[in-house]
This record gives sequence, C-alpha cells and structure tokens, in this order.
Amino acid sequence: MEHCADVVIIGGGIIGNSTAYYLAKKGCSVIVLEKSEDIGNGGSSRNGGGVRQSGRDKRELPLAMYGAKKLWPTLSEELDMDVEYYQEGNLRLGKTEGHIKILEGLTKNATSLGLDVTMINHDEAKAINPYLSAEVMGASWCPTDGHANPLLATLAYYRKARKLGVRFVTSEEVVEIRKIKGKARQVITTENTYEGETVIIAAGYASRKIAATIGVDIPMNPALLEVLVTEAQPPMFYQMLGTAAADFYGHQSTHGSFVFGGTSGFEEVNKDNGTPVTNSLTASCICRGIMKYFPCLEDAKIVRTWAGWIDVCVDHVPVISHVEEVPGLILACAFSGHGFGIAPTVGTLLAHMAVGEKTILDVSDFRYDRFKAKI
Amino acid sequence: MSKIKDRLINLGEFVLQPDDDMIICRCEEVTKGEVRKAVHDGMFTLTEIRRYTRTGMGLCQGQTCGRLIKGIVARELGVAPIELEAAVVRSPMRPIEMKVLGNEGKEAR
Amino acid sequence: MKRYDLIIIGAGPAGLSAGIEAAKRGLEVIVFDENAKPGGQLFKQIHKFFGSKEHKAKIRGFKIGEELLKEANDCGVRVELNAIVIGLYLDKEVTVKIGDEIKHYKGDAVIVATGATENMVPFDGWTLPGVIGAGAAQTMMNLHSIKPGKRVLMLGSGNVGLVVSFQLMQAGCEVVALVDAAPKVGGYGVHASKVSRCGVPFYLSHTIIKAEGEECVTGVTIGEVDTSWKIVPGTEKHFNIDTICLAVGLSPMSQLLSMTGCKMKDTPGGYVPECDETGATSVPGIYGAGDVSGIEEASSAMIEGRISGIAAAEYLGFITKVELNEKIEELEEALQSLREGMFAPENRGKVLEKTDEGIDVSSNLLEMGYVDELEIGRFPGIRRVSGVHPAIECTQNIPCNPCEDACPRKCIKIGDKITSLPVINPDRDCSGCGMCVASCPGQAIFLVNEEYEPGFAAITMPYEFLPLPVPGDQGRALDRSGKEVCMAEIIEIKSLAAFDHTHLLTMKVPGDMVMKARFFRNMEGAQ
Repeated sequence: MEHCADVVIIGGGIIGNSTAYYLAKKGCSVIVLEKSEDIGNGGSSRNGGGVRQSGRDKRELPLAMYGAKKLWPTLSEELDMDVEYYQEGNLRLGKTEGHIKILEGLTKNATSLGLDVTMINHDEAKAINPYLSAEVMGASWCPTDGHANPLLATLAYYRKARKLGVRFVTSEEVVEIRKIKGKARQVITTENTYEGETVIIAAGYASRKIAATIGVDIPMNPALLEVLVTEAQPPMFYQMLGTAAADFYGHQSTHGSFVFGGTSGFEEVNKDNGTPVTNSLTASCICRGIMKYFPCLEDAKIVRTWAGWIDVCVDHVPVISHVEEVPGLILACAFSGHGFGIAPTVGTLLAHMAVGEKTILDVSDFRYDRFKAKI
Repeated sequence: MSKIKDRLINLGEFVLQPDDDMIICRCEEVTKGEVRKAVHDGMFTLTEIRRYTRTGMGLCQGQTCGRLIKGIVARELGVAPIELEAAVVRSPMRPIEMKVLGNEGKEAR
Repeated sequence: MKRYDLIIIGAGPAGLSAGIEAAKRGLEVIVFDENAKPGGQLFKQIHKFFGSKEHKAKIRGFKIGEELLKEANDCGVRVELNAIVIGLYLDKEVTVKIGDEIKHYKGDAVIVATGATENMVPFDGWTLPGVIGAGAAQTMMNLHSIKPGKRVLMLGSGNVGLVVSFQLMQAGCEVVALVDAAPKVGGYGVHASKVSRCGVPFYLSHTIIKAEGEECVTGVTIGEVDTSWKIVPGTEKHFNIDTICLAVGLSPMSQLLSMTGCKMKDTPGGYVPECDETGATSVPGIYGAGDVSGIEEASSAMIEGRISGIAAAEYLGFITKVELNEKIEELEEALQSLREGMFAPENRGKVLEKTDEGIDVSSNLLEMGYVDELEIGRFPGIRRVSGVHPAIECTQNIPCNPCEDACPRKCIKIGDKITSLPVINPDRDCSGCGMCVASCPGQAIFLVNEEYEPGFAAITMPYEFLPLPVPGDQGRALDRSGKEVCMAEIIEIKSLAAFDHTHLLTMKVPGDMVMKARFFRNMEGAQ
C-alpha cells in the first residue's frame, strides 16, 4: 500500500472527500485517512441536509452563494450520481412579533450583502407552502436556497474520488502529525505512517486533538444534536424549512420521508457513551416544534432518530486556513453545524490552497489565528 | 474490525448475476444487484451500504433484510459475514406517530 | 419520573420468570410488553413441552404460560401490556409508548427479554403474498384461529418447521412437502416422525427454486442441491400450493441492548450481548435473558429469566451473594440438563453415529424423516412380548422423561440422566392404561397387542386431530413414512382429562402389520 502522496487528508467526511475529489481532478495523488470504519461517519451523514445561504454569518455568505450558484446545481451530473439537490427555496417561519423581528434582522443583513431574501406575510408564505399552520405570521423567503441528501452527497464525492485513484483508508486513526525539517509531512496513525507534501486536517471536532500534536489549537467545543426521520409521505413540498426560534429545520426528501433536526436546549451538555447517542428528551421536543408549524404531519410516523456531534467554533464560523507556522498544514474544521451546504465550495478552495493556487474566494475571514482575547 | 481498510483493494470485475433483480430489502425495494454494485462502487461496510442504497432504512429498520444484506456484502468482499460490523441501532424501536412521540404527558414538563 | 427497582422488557417466558423471582425477593418490578397478551411465544405453543418435571415437561406451552402469568400476578409483578419500549437510554431510562403518550421510567436494573424474530431466505418469488414465516403461521392459527392457507410447503426441518407443520395439519391445512437444503433433519426425530406418518414427504438436500403466482403464491418448484448449493438439473419438482412457510431460524431482537452501548458480539446465531452466566451485560445493571441473549427454547428462557431476576436482586442488595450463588448453581444445573444430548449446543454441526448407549442412530430418520422398519428394532423401547405393551419409538438422546413418571407400574425406565433412551422394564406388567402414550411430548409411544384377535393386532396411538374417529370407523393404516399399508378398524377412542387432549386411538390391523402400522386415516380421507 502506497503511504506517500501529494496530499494527505485526515477525515473522510464531505469536506475531506470533496477536497480529495477536486485534487484528483487536478492530477494530484491523495490519501484520505478515516478513523472510523465508515466513510462520512461524522456530521456529514448526520446533518439535516440544508444547502442555504440565508441565515448565515456574513463571512460565510460568499461561500454559500458561490455553491448555490456554481456548484450544487450541477453536482449530480459532475459526480455521476444523484445527490437529490433541490433549489426550491428556504422558508424561515415565525409565529410571533418577536420571531418576525429576528427574521427582519437576518433578512436585512443578508440583502445588504446581495442575497435575494425577502420578508413575506402569512398569505404569501401559505401560497408557497399550503401545509403551514394557520398560526404562522410570516417568514423570510430565499428562493435560491435548498437542500440535498447528505448521505449521498458525501458518498458521491467518495465514490468519484476513489474512481479517480484517491486512496481511502478506513479504521485508520491519526495520533500525531510530525514536522520533518520544519515542514509538516508525516501523519502517524495507530498502525502506519503516511507522508504528504501537504496535510489537511478535516476531522470535525477530532481535529483539535490532532492539531494539538503539532502545536496548533482551534477554539471549539463539541455539541450533541439530534435528527429524526419519518416514513415516506406523499410528495408535499420541497422547500427547506426553518424557524426564527430555531425549533426545527428540515425538508422532505426524494424518498418522501421528512428529515428534521432540532434542539432541546441541552446540546452543549448532552452526554454520550463515547459514541453519539440520542437521549430520551430531544426527539419529543423536536416533534412538538414541528407540529406547531405543520400540524398536518402529526400522524406521520417517525422511524428513526439519531445524534451527531457538531464542532462549534467560538465565533461560529469555520477555520479554513493555511497554518504558516506549520508549513504544509491546512486546517478545515469547526464548521459549527453548517458545513454541509458550503462543502463543495470549501473542497474547491482547499484544493486550490493545497496546490498553491489563488483561491477563487477570499478565505481570510477563516484564518486560524483570528482569535483574540476580548481586551 | 473490518479487514477491508484499503478502499482501493481490487474486488475484480462487477459481473452480472441471474438473480440480481431479486428484492432483498423489501421495505425499500432494493435488489441484490444494487447491493452488489454498491460494494463495487466502494461501499464496504453495512453502514455505507445502508446510506448509499437505503437498505435497512424502511419500516422494519433492517430486521428482515439485515442478515441477508450482510451475506451478500460479505460474499462480494470475499470475507466471512461475521467480519462485517453491524450498523448502529436507534430509537424508536417501532415506528411511532409524531403526535405520540411529542406527547410526553405531564411528568416530563 | 417513576423509578422501579427492576424494569423488565418483554413478558414472555424469560421476562415473566425474571419478574417472579425478583418480586419474590421484595423488588418492585414492572414488565412492559408491546403485545395485547402476555406470555410471548408460549401462548402459540399448543404442543407438550420436553424436559423433566422441573422443566414442566408434558405440559402444553400455553398452559405453562397461564401458570406463569398467575404466579406473576400472585407475586405482585405489574405487567403493562400494549406498552412499547421505544428506547433504552443512558442512566437506565426507558421511554414507553402507552396509548398515545410517551412515558419515561427509570430502573435501578433493567432486564431485556425481548425474544427473537424470524429469519428470511430470499428466492425467486419470495415477495409474493402467501410466503410467510412459520412463526407467523403459528400466530395466525393458534392465537387468531385463522388458517394461513390451504396447501402449504414448509421450508426448514428444525423444530419450528416440524412442529408448525404438524400444527398446520391440526388446523386443517394440507402440508404437501417439508423441504430443507441441509442433508439431514435439523429438529428432533420424534417431531419429524409425527409429521412423516401423516403422509408428508420430506425433501432433504432440496431448496426452493421459484415460487410462482401473479397476485399470490399458486405454486412452487423445488430442486435438489449438490454440495456447492447448485441445483442438480433434472431434479425439479413442482407443487400446487398457496402458502410457503419459512422456518429457517431465528435471530435475537437485541436492538434495545445494542442501543445502550453494551458490548455485543456477532455469532452465527445472531447479534447478541456479551453476558456472563447471570445474563449481566457489560453495562452494570442491564441484563439479557431468553432468546435475546441466544436462541434456545422456552424452557431455557424460563430458567435464564429466573437466573437474571435473582441476579438483579443481588445487584440491588435484596439478597446476599451467598444466596445468589446457591440459587444460581441449582438453576444452572437445570439449564445444563436441557443443553445435553444429541442436540446440545456443543454437538451442533457434528455427525453423531451412535447414541450414548452405543446404538447406531437411525440414518433414515435423519435423511427421510422417519425410522425405517429395519432400524426400529435396535432401540430399547421396542420389545416383542405377549399381551399389551408399550412400543417406545424414541431413538435419540434428548432431555426428556415424562414417560418414566407417567407409568403407574414403573414399566419405563430412563434414570438420572434424562437424555437416556427409555428402556422397557422386563419385570413389570403393562396394564394398557395408555398414560405413557398420552404423556410423551413427542407422541412417540404406542401400545401394541400382537394377540388382540386371531390374525389381528391392536395398536394404540396418540391422536390430536379433529374430527375424532369413532369406534367402528373403517380406514387405512399408514406406516411411519405415511404410506397406506393395510385396512384398519377403530376399536376404541379414549379421551381422559389426564391425557390433556391427547386422545388415544386404538385400531385393529392384520397381525403382520403390527410393526408397521402407526397412523390412521379414515376412509373418506379427511384429515
């Protein structure tokens, strides 16, 4: 087995897989190391599938807009696999005056940066989605937002990258990165040693421990979130949904099932047993959130719930950055729960960064050394 | 622990078989051929097969097809079925209406 | 949220037994079951159980279920029915769907006794209506009084396949064939014999090639397989049927245990928790008992349940370790005695050529489903003597001895090792009471009188079919393979309460048929 490559990527999620794919397209040799048995076992396969521009921090907006415009619409074709991308818009719903104020604030921010999001009233929202509860007062509406199937998108990148010769190794846990003569080159796992001209850490929250072995920190915390899925329903609507109160977010999939994520309020303190486990409270809470806005779904049967960690950066946007003090190292983590939608863009950017090309978008907002004490 | 770590391992040509159109996952109507092809596409674990093809995602959550899928994937990979790690099990144990799951009665609130 | 000493999930034989033992020792116990009726698989088991008295041998499964339920109620075990445990979480919390509500409970200890589910085997046409699990057929017949179909092919010759085939016939279905890809019958020989003598042909080393039909099953083709599981050309056989029953094994429903994060292991028999001998998993306070921790049968499940219930009592300080160890030793012995003999777990896959006594086993029984006439004389239960005497056609070492206790004259001897073949005591005189015939769970004992009348013999057999023939009925006698061999006339039908619904049918046959004739078919052919 070849242990050397132009680029060694740590983490077999959608960030790592998309980067590997775009690098392979450029003719680079790539090795992707995944700690677990399964490709895409972290947030990539557990998220709610949102591909949205609205509601993002303004620093992330250019990445999201680029993806929605240039990458997502042709992704299935590019990867020879249907990733179930829908660009049918995003409704962020509000039931109270307070909600509407929040939505107006978000909308104002976004329009000032050129995003096509507007405030709409109950009737207009109902015209877009007839299944809304009568209690919905209004919503923010972004017609170029959408959703996709995260399981398929992650595996589609993997499949195509593998076809192009990228070497994926699973059950391979990285324990240390080592500099050779001043440059990050060696990636040491529990079983093997790999070498790359460039090393990219795209391992979710585990990135922190790995980066620590080479003297770099990413200020982030894990949070444990849950998602639920229903049995297939007749086709109802394909907008991406969310609420001002952040009760739930989700969509109806091609399969017909509804996928909904949500929060109980305990995400930062939810405990686990070493694997992401669900608790006895969250799913019920999400259900109540959904039914407040879509009472028509009250009879839909939930077939499964699951949990996943997100890596929450202290300022809620990711670290996508060269690390000049460790030449050869690139960080791509701390996506804070909204990495899926921008993954194709990020993969594209990381591929450019890895080969020393100028990135199509400015990533200086995501520098690893941006964090300053408050005084 | 899966012995198939190196995903570039050569599984040989994907050869069509006469029973490829037999449905194995009845809930999601996934055929044997689709499962075998998935392995050749790089899906080496039962979890990846599930996420890629939807086997085990239906109403019975793999209770009917799980064993069968394991046998097919193992054969395609050339390993013993026991070497394939089972997929994770989750709540609810039976499909449950949203209004029931959300109805926790007085004690929880 | 209510916190119980012990939460038990599943009110089957293991769950109820665990609840009884725990409640007897002072624990506050609640048992959740998703079904409308408790008892798990017990209530479908209309046949008499094997084992010895302590294992409740010769008692019908559903009666054992009723006894268990009564004991549970008397001990104060609370059983909540129609209660689906949808999750078992950290901190030993369960969420239970009761009615249209979710309730939360916690247990200081939790015993998961959720049993098993039927395996499936795919073949061309397996998704047609009419292809059902054998256990499902049992549920339909024995719980809901519904005939699963009219003409049935059974796939699988383990105990489930054999027992359910017999029950299908009792329900009035026709079983056209019993098929197994294995070269040998997988279940008890006596179960196979019961089925064979009714005329059901066994096709070992055969598999289903295709089930036909448009909207539902209307026919099936089977074929012989060679040692590499390929169909041997020219061996295809076709049957017109409307139902295919699959009895191809069970898999533990261990999902709740797997969800807790306890260490699991994958075994050929399914995905089970790693448990010690008390059923304790790697998560302290969580136990697995019964089929969920490994497929055996209800008798073992009951003992395992009792062991786990007692272990939980010790874990929670209701009894001392000394008391625990004493009781466990006693129960482990009872459990071990069920795990001996020809079908013991350690003998699985082995080819046993002789019984413990050194007698060649009946190879015909294993390959065709019945003991050949030339083989039957080898066994100690068969003796040609004058006057009425038992003919015990029990030819395999299995843990079972109700016949020994049943005989008021001590004519039958098995001894301390209950897997021993029953032996006729030559010093004793048979009174012809028929208690042994009725008590044998395998229906393997007959009463034979070679000198009933000049030229005629009388044969008394266990009979569990309706309608019952009446004395004077003319019919045919069938041999062990189900072939009609001679004319027969019913002399007597005996139905005593002590026989527990195993009627004794005595038929008169030509004297030279005495070692052959073993079943009766009425002239109209109705069975």
